[in-house]
Amino acid sequence: MSAPGIRGKLLAVASVFLLVPWLGYEYIRELERFLRQAQDDSLVATAQAVATALHDRPQLFGFAPDRSLGSLRDMLDTVAANDAASAAAHSEATGEIQQILRGLERATSRIWVIDRAQQVRARTGSLRPRADAEAGAAELLERPFAWLEAAVLSPLYRMILRQPRDDFVDDAPPSYGRELDTALSGVLARGTRATTDGYAAVAFAVAPVWAGDKVQGVVVTEQTTNSVLRQRNLAFERLFGLLLLVVLAGAVLLFVFASRLGRRIRALRDDARAAVDAEGRIVQPLASSASGDELGDLSREFAAVLRRLADYAHYREHLASRLSHELRTPIAMIRSSLDNLQLSANAAEARVYVERAHAGLLRLNFIFDAMSEATRLEAAIANTPRERFDLREVVAGCVEAYRTIYPAARFAPALPAAAVPVMGNPDLVAQMLDKLIANAVDFATPETAIEVNLQVAGRHAVLRVANKGAALPEGMQARLFDSMVSVRHAGSGSPHLGLGLYIVRLIAEYHQGTARIANRDDAAGTIVTIQLPVAEA
Amino acid sequence: MSRRIAIVEDEPAIRDNYADALKRHGYDVWTFPDRARATDAFAHRLPDLVLIDVGLGVEIDGGFTLCRDLRAMSPTLPVIFLTARDSEFDVVSGLRMGADDYVPKTVSLPNLIARIAALFRRADLANSPATQEDLLTRGALTLDMKRMAVRWNNVPIELTLTELWMVHALARYPGHVKDRDALMREANIVVDDGTITSHIKRIRRKFQAADNMFEAIETVYGMGYRWQSPAD
Repeated sequence: MSAPGIRGKLLAVASVFLLVPWLGYEYIRELERFLRQAQDDSLVATAQAVATALHDRPQLFGFAPDRSLGSLRDMLDTVAANDAASAAAHSEATGEIQQILRGLERATSRIWVIDRAQQVRARTGSLRPRADAEAGAAELLERPFAWLEAAVLSPLYRMILRQPRDDFVDDAPPSYGRELDTALSGVLARGTRATTDGYAAVAFAVAPVWAGDKVQGVVVTEQTTNSVLRQRNLAFERLFGLLLLVVLAGAVLLFVFASRLGRRIRALRDDARAAVDAEGRIVQPLASSASGDELGDLSREFAAVLRRLADYAHYREHLASRLSHELRTPIAMIRSSLDNLQLSANAAEARVYVERAHAGLLRLNFIFDAMSEATRLEAAIANTPRERFDLREVVAGCVEAYRTIYPAARFAPALPAAAVPVMGNPDLVAQMLDKLIANAVDFATPETAIEVNLQVAGRHAVLRVANKGAALPEGMQARLFDSMVSVRHAGSGSPHLGLGLYIVRLIAEYHQGTARIANRDDAAGTIVTIQLPVAEA
Repeated sequence: MSRRIAIVEDEPAIRDNYADALKRHGYDVWTFPDRARATDAFAHRLPDLVLIDVGLGVEIDGGFTLCRDLRAMSPTLPVIFLTARDSEFDVVSGLRMGADDYVPKTVSLPNLIARIAALFRRADLANSPATQEDLLTRGALTLDMKRMAVRWNNVPIELTLTELWMVHALARYPGHVKDRDALMREANIVVDDGTITSHIKRIRRKFQAADNMFEAIETVYGMGYRWQSPAD
């Protein structure tokens, strides 16, 4: 097989699930943005809190509020040139700020307090995480398939994700030119910058410290984005591992399922191939599956179709043999009569043989008539349009006619009160009734009634013709509706070609109905049951 | 004393015609329309020969059943089947019905009477010693047409009358090809080609049952059959 099988196709379709890790990645990026936003907000909040603590306390910054503002370099000059009292006040104020800040100290974040002169007045915290916090985080990374992670996934993650690193250098005072100016003009500023060596990103917020309506200095809060990165990476690795597991398990399941499906379909194909030989003959029945799914259904349907075909082929094969059987009897009648005629001497004897030969001819004629009736009917049925008619009326009319045709027979009709609408052809139904009644009259014990019963059961009109008489042999019931099958006794008068019930079946099937024959419950006769669907109102 | 022939046939016209023809030939004739009445009568007295129709009314192979019952009563009673179908004997050939012959119903009356006479001859002579001039010997084959008996390597082969006549037609002139028409003529039957083929098959099978190396009947494709003399 060169084309891909179901397995390959199903796996190709399933490859769409490989998009799921990408979706996971997008989701994690969203998560990161959210975390960064939260970090920024928290930095801003911290900066504002510290600024609030320092509000309206100009003495902390140790100079007059109206003091002119210069550049940082000017400021350093100024500090250098300051008087001793001022220096003492300065250092005392710085100590107090430091005190306030200590209460706000937090791990992995750094707070600066810078005055209007852009001079650093206090600083607390560090950008680097403490060693013990790191260790705690490492403990959390306890997962199965550690070897797999180490060998395959970790390099992959390192390729996709930026890894946080804590070996950055960023000890110099921050040089937030524009943001400081913004904050000193009284507006909150925030942003992100790289560390001086570029190894890490630092998020920061700058909040002004007010004294009255004047900005005295600013509070800068800083934090590396490493913790966010770390959390993002951790979440991604977990999600990716899980997704990988699910996708792999799904692929294996799909593969197994597709293999099974493929195997069952191949088995069905092999069965079907083995069931029919090169000449199209059905050599063995199909082993139908017991499975309740669509494939089981298919195999059962297929087996049923093959069975019906086999039955039909069998019937066709035997039709010729049955026909030759039917024709031989009248030919034997004629031939033996003629042979006798040749040998007989007196005229009285001769007349008997001529009569017998004549009877044989009549029978031959009857056979051909019956055969052409069946053939004509087959052709007629194909061209007869369906119309809506009242089945009850047809049955009632026919039974009346039969009373005059068969004066010796007794009929016991039982018809419903209301009309029974049926789609089909009333003439064909009458022809079907003719055959049923002719059969019933032939087989009925003299002086017994022939019951003709019509009733509506659900969506079907049920017509029963029953007669008392001989029961059918076992196994013949279903076959009687085939062409040229008969159980009739010889000597019953008329020839027996076995086409009557065949015609009944053809007409019942034309009406989308069924025909069945069965022995009466008391085994004292037979009942033919015709079921025709009632026409929609 | 005249011989008594029983006819079991469900078709009255055929039954009466056969009966008339046989009576004209001096036979005493019993007629039965079905198996039950025939079996009853045979229980009291057996006829000398029975003519049975395979299909008897409702019993589509009632004739076979009747033949089996008769064989249980008498292993030697001659039985001729009348068949309306060619396929019937293929279907039951494995059943070893023990019939002496079978003919299609369309057989001519003189032909039927010839068969009956041959079977009576076989029955009469079965126990009398054979004289040399009656015998036809071809290698392992010995045909006694007077007694209607055949032996292969001195083993008796149970052939029906038709089969025996066919073997005789072939073995009389070894090496001569007999076409199907000639075989039909000599075996006094009128059937289609396919039936001749199945007769030949059955004959081969019967000889092979006695000698699985049997291949004296050769098919000459497109022409017919011939008897092969042993390659000596």
